[in-house]
Order: sequence, then C-alpha cells, then structure tokens
Amino acid sequence: MTKKVADSKEGNVPSKNIQRIKKIFYSQTLAPYIFILPFLLSFLIFFLYPTINTFFMSFHEVLGMGNQNFIGLTNYQRLFNQNFYEAIRTNTLYTIFLIIILIPLSMLFATLLNLKYLKGRNFFKSALFVPALTSIIVAGVAFRLLFGEMETAFVNSILIRLGFSAKQWTLNHDTGMFLMVSLASWKMIGIYMIYFISGLQAIPEELYESAEIDGANTISKFTKITLPLLKPISIYVLTILIFDGYRMFGESFVFWNEGMPGNIGLTIVRYIYQQAFQRNNMGFGSAIGIVLLAIVLTINLIQLRFFGVFKKEE
Amino acid sequence: MFLAVVMLASVMLTACSGLAPIPNTSGSSGGDTKTPQVAEPVSLNFWVFEELHSAFYKEALKDWNAKYPEKPVELVMESYPNAEMHNKLLIAIQSGVGAPDIVDINLNYFANFLMGDIQLAELNRVVDPVREYFVESRFDIYSKNGKVYGLPTHVGATVAYYNMEILNKAGVNPDDIVTWDDYIEAGKRVVEATGTPMVAFEVSDQRPFWPMIVQRGSDYLDENGKVILDNDINIDTLKRMHEMMYVHKIAVGMPGGKSWAEEFFPFMNQGGAASIVMPMWYMSRFLAYMPDLEGKIVVRPMPVWEEGDSRSAGMGGTGTAVTMQSKNLDLAIDFLANAKLTKEANIRIWEMLNFDPPRWDVWDAPELQEPDPYFGNEKIFNVMLEMKDEILSPNMHDLSAAAQDVVKESVMFRALHEQSLTPEEALKAGAEELRSQQK
Amino acid sequence: MRGNTDRKWIGWLIFLFFGIVSIVMLFPLYYLFLASFRDSKELFRFGMDLAIRPELMKLDNYKYILFGEGNIYLHWYKNSVLITFFFTILSSFFSSMVGYGLGVYKFKGKNLVFVLVLFVMMIPLEILMLPLYRLTVQFRIINTYSGVILPFMVSPLAVFFFRQYAIGLEKDFLSAGRIDGCTEFGLYFKIMVPLMKPAFGAMTILLAMQNWNSFVWPLIVLRTNQNFTLPIGLSSLMTPYGNNYDMLIAGSVLAIIPIVIVFLFNQKSFIDGLSSGGIKG
Repeated sequence: MTKKVADSKEGNVPSKNIQRIKKIFYSQTLAPYIFILPFLLSFLIFFLYPTINTFFMSFHEVLGMGNQNFIGLTNYQRLFNQNFYEAIRTNTLYTIFLIIILIPLSMLFATLLNLKYLKGRNFFKSALFVPALTSIIVAGVAFRLLFGEMETAFVNSILIRLGFSAKQWTLNHDTGMFLMVSLASWKMIGIYMIYFISGLQAIPEELYESAEIDGANTISKFTKITLPLLKPISIYVLTILIFDGYRMFGESFVFWNEGMPGNIGLTIVRYIYQQAFQRNNMGFGSAIGIVLLAIVLTINLIQLRFFGVFKKEE
Repeated sequence: MFLAVVMLASVMLTACSGLAPIPNTSGSSGGDTKTPQVAEPVSLNFWVFEELHSAFYKEALKDWNAKYPEKPVELVMESYPNAEMHNKLLIAIQSGVGAPDIVDINLNYFANFLMGDIQLAELNRVVDPVREYFVESRFDIYSKNGKVYGLPTHVGATVAYYNMEILNKAGVNPDDIVTWDDYIEAGKRVVEATGTPMVAFEVSDQRPFWPMIVQRGSDYLDENGKVILDNDINIDTLKRMHEMMYVHKIAVGMPGGKSWAEEFFPFMNQGGAASIVMPMWYMSRFLAYMPDLEGKIVVRPMPVWEEGDSRSAGMGGTGTAVTMQSKNLDLAIDFLANAKLTKEANIRIWEMLNFDPPRWDVWDAPELQEPDPYFGNEKIFNVMLEMKDEILSPNMHDLSAAAQDVVKESVMFRALHEQSLTPEEALKAGAEELRSQQK
Repeated sequence: MRGNTDRKWIGWLIFLFFGIVSIVMLFPLYYLFLASFRDSKELFRFGMDLAIRPELMKLDNYKYILFGEGNIYLHWYKNSVLITFFFTILSSFFSSMVGYGLGVYKFKGKNLVFVLVLFVMMIPLEILMLPLYRLTVQFRIINTYSGVILPFMVSPLAVFFFRQYAIGLEKDFLSAGRIDGCTEFGLYFKIMVPLMKPAFGAMTILLAMQNWNSFVWPLIVLRTNQNFTLPIGLSSLMTPYGNNYDMLIAGSVLAIIPIVIVFLFNQKSFIDGLSSGGIKG
C-alpha cells in the first residue's frame, strides 16, 4: 500500500483521486479502520452470518435442508438435564486445573530459563516446547499407550512395581480427568512458557539493576518487578486458558473417541457434537452452543473488567 | 484456485459420463445386453468407514465390469473414521451438496438418515426379487414404512464363543448349556476349577445386554418407536447380568470396557475368560487379534432364558445406501445390488470379510461349509442354519441412535461398572432421558 | 565471592531440575518412537522394553506406510505442510495488522471491535459447521486448501496477542516517523513491524502449530483421501473395529520427526527472535 502511494507521488498527474487516496493513507482517523478491515470482513462473512444462522437454528427443530419447525424455547428448556450439568462441571474442573497448573509452572519455567547463567537454556526451552509441536491425535496415541489399562502398560507396570494396583484409566472419573489435564498440560506448557518468556524480554534490565542497588533480593525482585510487569501477558494467558478450557474437545476425543461411559470426558463441545451430529439434532446442538457462548463470554468479560483491560491501557 | 478448477473439471466430466446408457432395471444379469461396446466408465463416489470394506467393493467392481462391459463403472472409494464419516454425511445430506453416490452407514447411525425428508434412495426394486432368500429382519432394520433404504452386510447373529481349553479343565461340555441357568452353573465350575471368569461383559458398550433382551422379544424401543427401555424384561435381564458379576462372580467387565478395545484382545487371547457372547462377525476379530486361541474356540447358539426364547439375535450392521444426490441413481442401485444381493456377493462377504452373509441360501455353499481349523474344525454355518428362523433384529426408529448411546454410556456403565445406580434405577434414568427427547 | 558460589550451586540445581523436567517431557515421544518399531499386538501383550535393542527393532511399520500399497501417507504429509505454510504467512500478516490497529490507535468503536475479537475467539467451531460448510460450497472452495485456510485466516488469538504487544510499544517513534512524512502504513511496515519481531516469532510458531493440529474443520472441508491432512489421515486409522496401531504409531512418529527437526534447526532464530527484544527502554 505504501508503494502505491509512492508510485503515485512520482507520477506527475496529481489528480483529485490521488490526493484523496493520499489523504486516506496519511489520515490518523481513517488508518485504524483500514488496519482492522481484514478482521471486519472475515468476521462478517465467516462468523457473524454463521452465528446468526446458528442462533436461528437454536429455536428450531432442524429436519434437513430448508425444512425446519419453529419450536420456541424448547431446545433451551431441554438443557436443564444431568448430562449438560456434568459437561459444564467437567469443563469447569478442567479449566481450573489447567489454570492452577499451567500459569505458575510456565511462569516459573520462563523465569528460570531466563536466567543468563543457566547452562543449556536453549536446549531446555526446546525440550519443553517439543510436545507442543505434536498434534493432539499423535499426543493422544502416545498417552493411550502410556496409560493403557493392561498391567503391562507403562504407567500401570510402574504402579504395580510400587505396590499399587493397575488402574483402569479411562473408566473412572478421577483418572479420566487426570488423563485429560496431564495431556493438555504436557502439550501446552511449552507454549505458555514462550508467552511468558516474551513477556519477560520486555522488562527493562535497568529496573532489576536499580533494584539490586537498592538491595533487593531475588524474591523481592520477582514479586516487586517481574510479577507486576508480567500482568498484561498473564491476563492474555488466563483469557486463552479459559477459552481453551471451555471449548476443549481433542483432549477428550483422543481417549474416548467413540463414546463416553458415564459421561467421563463429556465436555460442552462434545455434547454439541454428540447431539448435533451423532443424534442429528442440530437445533439442540445450536442451543448448547449459544449457551456455551454466553458462559465463556460472561466469565471472560468479568475477568477482563476485573483486571481493567478496557480502561487503563489505551 | 487451481484445485478448484480441477474439481470443477472433474465434476463436469462426471456429469458428461452420466449420459452413458442407463441399465435396465432388474438387478438380475441380463445376458442379452452383452453386446461389446466401448463405453466411458461412470464414476461413482463411495464412502466407507472401514478400510476392509474398500477391498470388498473393489472386488465387486471387477465382477460388475466383467458382467456388464457395456455399462462400466469406476469407483472412487473414500474411507473415513466411523464417527466422522457419519457427521460428514449428515452435513452433506442436510445441506444438499457433497454426498457420495453410495455409502456404508453404520446401523448405530442409520436411523438419523431416516428422519424427515429421506434423502436415501428406495431399494425395493432390487430387494423384492430376492427377499425370500434373506434373513428378513436384516432388511427391516434399514426400512421405514415398508421401504428399504439400505442393503445389509451381515446377519450379526449373536452366538456364544467358548474356549475349550478352559472348559475342558472344568469338565464342562458346551453342548449341555441350553439355558442361562445352565450357563451360570457351568460358570461356577469353571471359576472353581480354573479361577478364570466364565465370561466378560461390555461395560461401556451394549453387548451382551442388547442381544439378551432381543432374544426375549424385548428391545430399547418397541415396534412403534415408543421407549420400553425400562420394561420388566430389561430390568430382569440387567439384574441377572449384575448378579453374574457380583453375586455368582462368574463374570467380569471387559478390560477397556468393550470388545473392540485394544486392552480386551490380549486379555481374551491369554485365556482371560472362558467364553464371550458376541455376534458372528466377531470371528474376524478372533482371527485377526487372538492368534493364540487357534483351535480352541467353538461356536454355539446363545443360551436362552426360558423355553421359546430365540437362541440368537442379529446385532450391529452396516447398511449400504444410495443417496438421492447421486447423478446416476439407477446405475448406483444396480451396482450395489450386484455387490451385495447376489449369491456370489454373499459368498464373497464370508471369504473377504469373515462376516455371516445375510443371504441364508449360501450358508450351505462349499465355501462356507469348509471346516475352519481356528474354530475347532467345525462347520460353523450349521449352527446358523439351525437357528435361521429364530434370528430377531432390534427395532429401528428415530430414537435408536440415542437409545444405544444412552445404554452404552450411561446404563451399562453406571449399573455394571460404577454400580452407582442399581440396574433398575439405571434403566429408569436412561428411559427417562430418552422420553424427554421424544416429541 | 560468596554470591558467586551460591549462584553456581543454584545454577547446577536449576540445571538438574530442568534435566529431569526435560526427560519427563520428552519421554512420551521416546516411548512412541520405540513403539513404532514393534508389532502392536506384541506391544499390548508384553508391554514395552525401554532400552533400545536394535535386534528387536523392525522397520516393517515404516516400510508399510511409506512404500505400501496406495502410498497415501505422503500425500497427507504434503498437504499438511503446504496448508500450514500458507496459513501461517497469511495469518500472521493479517492478524498483526489488526492487532496493531487495535493496540495503537484511538478510534470510535475500538472497544466494540475488541469485544468482537473476543467473541470470535470463543465461538466453538462445532456450532458453526453447518452454515460454514454451506458457505464454502457457495464460494467453490470446498475440498481446497483455500477452504481450510480462508475462514480462519484472521486469527483472533493472534490479534489479541499482537494488540497486547502493541500496547506495550514505545509510541515516540510514531510521532518521529510522522514528522518524517511516513504514511500510517509506512510507519507500520518500516517501524512497528521490526519492533514487533519478537511477537511475530511467538505467533509464527503458535499459528503454525494451531494449523498443524487443526482437526475438525479440515475434516469437513477436505473431501477426498488425497487431500487429507495428517491428523485426519491418522485418525482415519482408528476405527471401532480395531485400531490400526501399527500404522498409527509409525505414522505418528513420522508426523513429528520432521517438524521437530525443523524446529530444532530454527530453534536458535526462534529463541533469538524472542530474546532480541527490540522493545527495551
């Protein structure tokens, strides 16, 4: 775009149009709108339209193409059932566990790996990041092998050697949650660590130096400087975690791809998938989706308002 | 963009070849039409959810092109994961674009495609002439209002597979087991003599519960689609299963929860249970995954609850259907009929897939009668012929897919594995959930 | 003096700590790697021997997926690589623009747009599948790379990240640039993009991975076996009629090895990109 302007400058026919275009490119009022244009376009076409469509479907019984009956709030009323509660519960627990595990650990790893005197930093960063490179299907295959139900499977064989009994990992609620959370943590910690590292890079070295001169120790440097300055990135991480937690699908799918006994692994999105595509109830599936949207939106808006994202950082 | 052009081009090509002569209707081979004539092959899209089936249909393709050189066909086979294929098909059918010509539909999902405006082609034209040679109930499960929409792949007759090595140690003769009470008694002797459980049940799937209630004339839904999941027969059956596990202690839950879990195969292979009750198609799993049981397994009819119950039940299935989106509807139907309804096709079902073919007049064909060393050198299909008229199949309705999910994921698991609900409570809760979905 | 010895000890302790953490993190992949040389039936029966024993390692699984009949695996591979490549480039370009626009300028409707970004971020794809699918059919991008890439080209996640990053940037350069006669876009490309290099570093990795892993949408859009990406192809090997573990495990290993190699070779520039930090002071 800059090139276009430059070209037109060289051309010696200063028409009105070119003047106008120039104005646009210099205008500070218009520029932001051009910057956000790609988003607006893709939002309108690929999200707003389908979302409205979905919203519309949630009040209908969808029988096939162009064939739907208006049934009012029936789909929403049906949401008050045990399965949906259990799905919300699974998502909520999963999200909380991820927040508890991932935020402190990845922050700790990032801080330690940012220490200049640590040997092999780059190797460790890579090692921690490699799991993130694997697709969820591949990671799931590895975890299914490790946490097999057989006594010969790796984790069970260790448990037996330690004097415990073998576990049926995928057939109990607690162990099922454990599987999903450990798979997710294993896969994601590298990414969150990178977020925090890039956040740490943004903290000016001088702050630490002057704090050192004031006699601050490592811990007070961490709590007084590092933590507050990591706040923006922490908010980002927390927001992403809440989204990821509530829309989780893959971590459950790899362990229970064909069915979820006793609703172990039933998450909100899997409930949508099950109802809309396995039970051919698009309308109900859409209603679940709309409710999911409301839940996540509410939690995150509260969270973001709480941390003052909308006000301070203009 | 280039891809889009290629796609468009191929669509146009397909459309052109649609002008190839439309075959005369009846699926039977019309010898007079065999005039040598070089025709452009018509391309048919075919989705399957099991790679093995691809090979089977490719063989059927060779057969078709040899028989009908004047209307050659070309198959474009696509194989997708089970759940995904059905989701994809549902989307394609609901949005009116992108469905294949022919598709294998798992029985668990079939009802989904018989709701509202049915987008599958009616197949009575090719089914009616041969109906009498088939186990009738296998068409019923793919039918609605007397119209057939899918062709069966197997009977899925449920049988008992006994491990003779274990039974011999306990001195049990499987031919003496007629009723489930006999079975329980035999089980106790097996447990006493060998410490091995008599049987393993699926706890996150629905076997043998489903065949057990079907053989008693019950089901999840009645013939009108009404929920009867919590009727007395079902409650009694599940109670008895629970007793086998926790009172008589002759039964265990399958490792992995189901008969197709990777944990279950080695368990069974190592003699983990003296018997299992599964459909005939499970023979192929024995052959593929349990090599150590060669020569030790015998196949017998299911025990009965009381006199008059049937000794089997046709379980599971794959209905092959033609979608209305096909541009070569008649050709697709004829091709499919030749691939699944003829005698040769049914023999091929046994030879290539190790399934019990739904056409019973091939059961005494030499190919099927050949003794199998894996299964004690017995003629397995004699067991089938013996119970041919007793093989009931479940009722299929709008709620079928949901009912199966509820039984698999909730009823069996909570009643038999977690024991968080009694059999009666679990069935009542499941039935309640289903009724709430019924409009 | 004392401080230095302390530091040395702490350094070793941390080193040891990360040594253990690294082993734990890499172990599942090591296990998968070993398993890929085994017959899966034996694997489930006898469990796994963790030592590398060349005499027990068979290449059958690899021969099968690479040279076996059909040879479809390599197609999946190519598709995954190309889709990821184009997606990452386009997406980081557009997302950074939007994020920058949101982070640096004050304009009417800014908060609204930001809320919309969040809104998009939390829409579960599954509820949009049916309408989206119809759209791709209308646009004739079904079964194409464009069909996979286009709807998600502006990644709200990356927009959010770039916004957060741009907020923290020093704005003095901007007024200086304006005095020099740069257009707003000139400012962006010449001054701000270089400043946001670390953010681009992080986002490139993130977007590439996100795309490499994406499962549900490509499954809907890609209609022929030949056009599958790796995750879809691999998951097509898991069926209720017995997972094809031999192919699945070896295929999984091959799916990781090259991307890990690429990462390890570029690891220095990734991490340097992150540490160069053009945003101090």
